[in-house]
This record gives sequence, C-alpha cells and structure tokens, in this order.
Amino acid sequence: MSLIPGINKVVLCLACCVVLTGCVKDIDLDQAEEIGLSPDINVDLLIYDVDYNDFYDATGTFQPIIKDVVRLEFLDDDYIQDDLTEVEFFFSHSNTFPQEFSHTIRFLSNAGVEQLSIPYTIAAGSSGNPEITEHTEPIEEAQIHLIRNSIQMEVTIEAHSPPTSGELEFASTGLFKFDF
Amino acid sequence: MRCWPLITFLFCFSLLSAQNKPLLYNVDDLPQSLMLNPGTQIDFIGHVGLPFLSQIHFSAGTSGVSLHDIFRNDGTNINTRIREAMHSMTSYDHFTANEQVEIISLGWKLDKRNYLSTGIYQELDFFSYFPKDLAILVNEGNANYINDTFDFSQAAFTGEILTVYHLGLNHKFDEQLTVGVRGKLYSGIFNVESTSNTGTFSTITTPQGPNKYRHIVENMDVLVNTSGFASVKDMNVQNATAELLKRSFFGGNVGLGLDLGLSYVVTEQFVASASVQDIGLMFQRDDVESYHYYGSYQTDGLEPLFPDSGSTIPYWDDFENQVKTNLVDKTYNEAYITWRPAKFNLAIEYGFGQAYLPCNYLTVNKVRFMNQIGMNLAGVLRPRGLVYAFTTYWDKKLTDKQRFRIAHTLDDYSLANFGLMYSVTFNKFNIYLAANNLLGFRNLAKARSTSVQLGLQMVFKDL
Repeated sequence: MSLIPGINKVVLCLACCVVLTGCVKDIDLDQAEEIGLSPDINVDLLIYDVDYNDFYDATGTFQPIIKDVVRLEFLDDDYIQDDLTEVEFFFSHSNTFPQEFSHTIRFLSNAGVEQLSIPYTIAAGSSGNPEITEHTEPIEEAQIHLIRNSIQMEVTIEAHSPPTSGELEFASTGLFKFDF
Repeated sequence: MRCWPLITFLFCFSLLSAQNKPLLYNVDDLPQSLMLNPGTQIDFIGHVGLPFLSQIHFSAGTSGVSLHDIFRNDGTNINTRIREAMHSMTSYDHFTANEQVEIISLGWKLDKRNYLSTGIYQELDFFSYFPKDLAILVNEGNANYINDTFDFSQAAFTGEILTVYHLGLNHKFDEQLTVGVRGKLYSGIFNVESTSNTGTFSTITTPQGPNKYRHIVENMDVLVNTSGFASVKDMNVQNATAELLKRSFFGGNVGLGLDLGLSYVVTEQFVASASVQDIGLMFQRDDVESYHYYGSYQTDGLEPLFPDSGSTIPYWDDFENQVKTNLVDKTYNEAYITWRPAKFNLAIEYGFGQAYLPCNYLTVNKVRFMNQIGMNLAGVLRPRGLVYAFTTYWDKKLTDKQRFRIAHTLDDYSLANFGLMYSVTFNKFNIYLAANNLLGFRNLAKARSTSVQLGLQMVFKDL
C-alpha cells in the first residue's frame, strides 16, 4: 500500500508537468511574413499560319506588310500588375518561303502607345525544307513595367518581295515568373 | 509485475494507426465513456456535468508535416522548407482538427438495468487531405512540370460546426452483455465539403504544333458545398462570429444520428466491446451555396487571322467565351445532404487484481479489477476511407477515487504517441485530465498531433 501514494504523486506530477508546461520552441513564427508563392507559369500566346495568299488583298495587289493585333486582357489583371517579376518570351517560326521576312512584335498600351518592340529576321526556307527561326526575349525586372503597361500584342510581318509560294508558321509562349 | 511482458508484447505488435479519445474509452467511472460507447460498463448511478466544463476536448493532427518543419529557426529559407515539405508529403497526408465542448451533461440510473444519459455538446470538425498537385501548381507553377498531370481529385475536405442534442440508454441485459443506444439531433451552424472532385490539368509539349505547348483541362468536376456561409461571407470577422454564435441553438440546419455500442464479459477477466458513433446525416437546406466548376477545354493559344482592311477581330473576347462555354462556373442554392464522420471502436480488456470494498477488505466488490490492460482499434470515416488508430493501454485504479491510464497509440501522426489520463474524485466531484502524445508536449512545434480532454462533473456512485 505504501507504493500507491507514491505512484499517485508521480502520475499527478507527470500529468500536470507535461501538459501544463507544454511549449512551442525552436521556431520563429515571424517567418510567416516571408512566406511567398513563386510560380513560374508557361503559357501559350499566339499562333498563326500564313501562306502567300495572305500577302495579297482581294484585288490581288501585293501587301508587303501584314499585321494584326490581339488584346491580352490578362496583362491588366492584379496578379500581373502587382506580382509579375520576369517574363521570357519565346517565338518560333517555321518558314518554307524561299525568302526572308522582317518580323516585329510590339506590345502596346490600351491607347496604342508602343511599350516594347521586338524585331528580328525570319530566315528563308524552301519548299519541303522548312527553316526554323527561334527567338527568345527575356524581360528582366527592370523592364517589367513595360509588360504591365501593355495590353495589346501586335504582330507585323514584312515581305521584301512578293511571295509566290510557301508557308510561315508561328508559335509563341511566355514564361511568366511571379512572386506573390 | 506479471503484466509487463504482456504490455510489451502489445506495444510491439501494434501495427495500425490515429486518435479517437482512447484515453476515455471504457473508463467505467467517467460518464464520457458513454459518449464513446453507449453500451459500455459503468459503475455510477448518476452524473451531472458542470455546464460548459464537463468535457473540453481539443485534438489536432497533421500526418505529413509539423510546425517545426516549416518554422524552424535554422537560417534556411522558409519558402525552401515549404517546398521541401510539399514534396515530402503525399496526397493521402491529411490535416485534422476537432473540438468538442459539453454544454450540458447529465444522467441517472432508471432501474437495475437501465441508465439514461442526455446532454448537449458543441462540436467543430475539420478534415482535409493535402492536395499535393494543386499546391505544387500554385506554389511553383507549371514550368517545371511540362507533361505532368495535376489531379483535381486530390482536393477533398470537410468542415462543420454543429450543436448536438443527445439522449442515450445503457441497458444491462445480464451479467455478461450490456448494450446501448444514443439518438442524436444535430443542429448545423456551418458546413463546407468538397469530396468527390475529378479532373486534371496538364501542359504538354506538342512537337507537331501548332504551338510549343498545349494546355488541357480534362473532365474537371469540382463541387464545393457550403451551408451557413453565404450569409456571413461578406461580414467582417466579428459580425460573422456573432452570427454563427446566434445559430448555436436550433439556428441552422438539422440532422439525425445514432450511436450504438455493446460490451460483453467473455470471461471474468476478459471484456470485449464495440461501438459506432455518429451514424447520421445532416440535411443542409438553410443558407446553402454551392460552387460548381466543370468541363473540358484545351488551347494552343490565340490565332490572329491578319484580316484585310485593318479590321479588328475580338480574339480575346472569343477566347473568353469559349472558356466560359467549356469550363462552366455555376453557383447553386440547392439543398444537399452530408454524412457525419462516423467512428467505430473495437476493444478488448483484460482485468487483474480484484478490487475490494473500502470498508470490507474481505468482500469482493462485484467483479472489478484494479488493473486493466487493453487494446482499442478506432477509426473515423473520412472522404477516402477510414483513418485508423490503434491504442494499447494500462488502466490502473489507485484507489476507489483515483485512477490513471497510460496509453500508446499508433496512428498516421506518430509512432511514439504516449498518452496519460488521470481522474480523481473528491467526495462526488470528479476532475479528469487526459492528454495524448505527451512526448510532443515537450515541444508542440515538433508534434504532429496533440489531443487534450478535461472535465469537471458530479459523479454519484452506489457504494
């Protein structure tokens, strides 16, 4: 019987000590302020496929420059305006025209003011042997305001002579890096 | 001392896993054992709990990561640790929190065979699997996961706050068999559930064109049901809390449930018992709002057509319309039914060291034992199946007024979960305290689970 009061005290002490002195240590909850999300998101942008007919109007007159504008409304969203840190554009052409093209991608504001222009030359290919031209355009953090100010993407293709045959395929993606 | 080899044996061969108040299960002088098994053997003739204090229960667990894993102060970057933790977890890892407060608890012996117990308690229960794919997609994006599939079905969670009104009967058939039943009326305060989601998102390479990648949402069907949320979602925290408290008593949705249990004296020393709790459902009809996202869609990008005469084509508007048509986002206000997280317990106990009446050491006090060792297998039904806990324990009556229980539980959260329950009665006033995962209390930041129950009540015995 003399053992029981002893056990009693030990149990009571253990229960109280362990539960009541339970603590949280070796952590720094202030680090919560440093928690962020940093997703890198690859998205498709524009594609097109033009042939020589696209360089002639309905009357058959040669149009050396063809262009089109696509609004990219997502560029005006909060996550772009507040949290976008870098962008890397990737443009790829597959050309079977036996001639070069001048290609320009411009990013425009809502009012149509140019923010960023990316010109380059598309190498000539040949029928059955497409020439691949790839161009990567990194936009660093210092320039990211140019993307934030943009909402339209304009594509311009300039033919230096009237094309008679061939096909030009375009693919483009953007790697958008965020820091939320 | 003869019990130690058996205890060691039981500890070594405990192969299952979790947490279901094992420290209070089959404690025959605590009324709370009736809430875990309405057919348990009891040795009291009445009880009255102190309102709001007869049981305060809190448990929380995470099977994959601890607070220390994320917030440890070792000079490394916290976002790197979060990323490492995400990759170390699986979509079957889960987070759970449960809280119960007994508002009213009382019971009394009707006759030699029947004991009636009733009361009201409030419960909060939250459970979520770790949606690994979606967490990685949000945290890291898709750039490093081209040709991988992100699975929406990994998102599965339930959460509810409710008040439970219950009435139970414990009936002793004979010296061997005791059975019990408890009817429950649920009054829902808040509910959210999203359990049967499907679909995938992927970004695949397309060497044959037309673009470098293709983004594919396939067979998406994500449904989030809520009740008690729509009316408070635009309130600030204080007003929302006040509104939820107002619903605490018959303020929201209703449901019905049942607990069943039995205990059977196999031999004088062996007692087997089993129970199921919360076989019930809630009819969510009031203040319901459901958010449904479904459909399939794929895109390679926008395609300018270089129209003549400088005309413009609303490519973006067309794209948005296609997305809206194919990936539908709808909000409903339709009633739905939820099942309560049913629980079960299976246990076997071995008693030794017969107890004697305090006034007469020569008279056996029925068949009672000062020591019990037992095994308890408990489970809680969650969206993807049962979450188990296997507990082995040694229950010791120090005197007629005091007892303790030491337990070891294997569950999804810990392999070294040692718990302790201590109960003491001063005259008829009983106090009990139970805590699981005692080793974790040394530093709760490292503990992946913890559970505490404490209570104050009057317990009347017929000595």
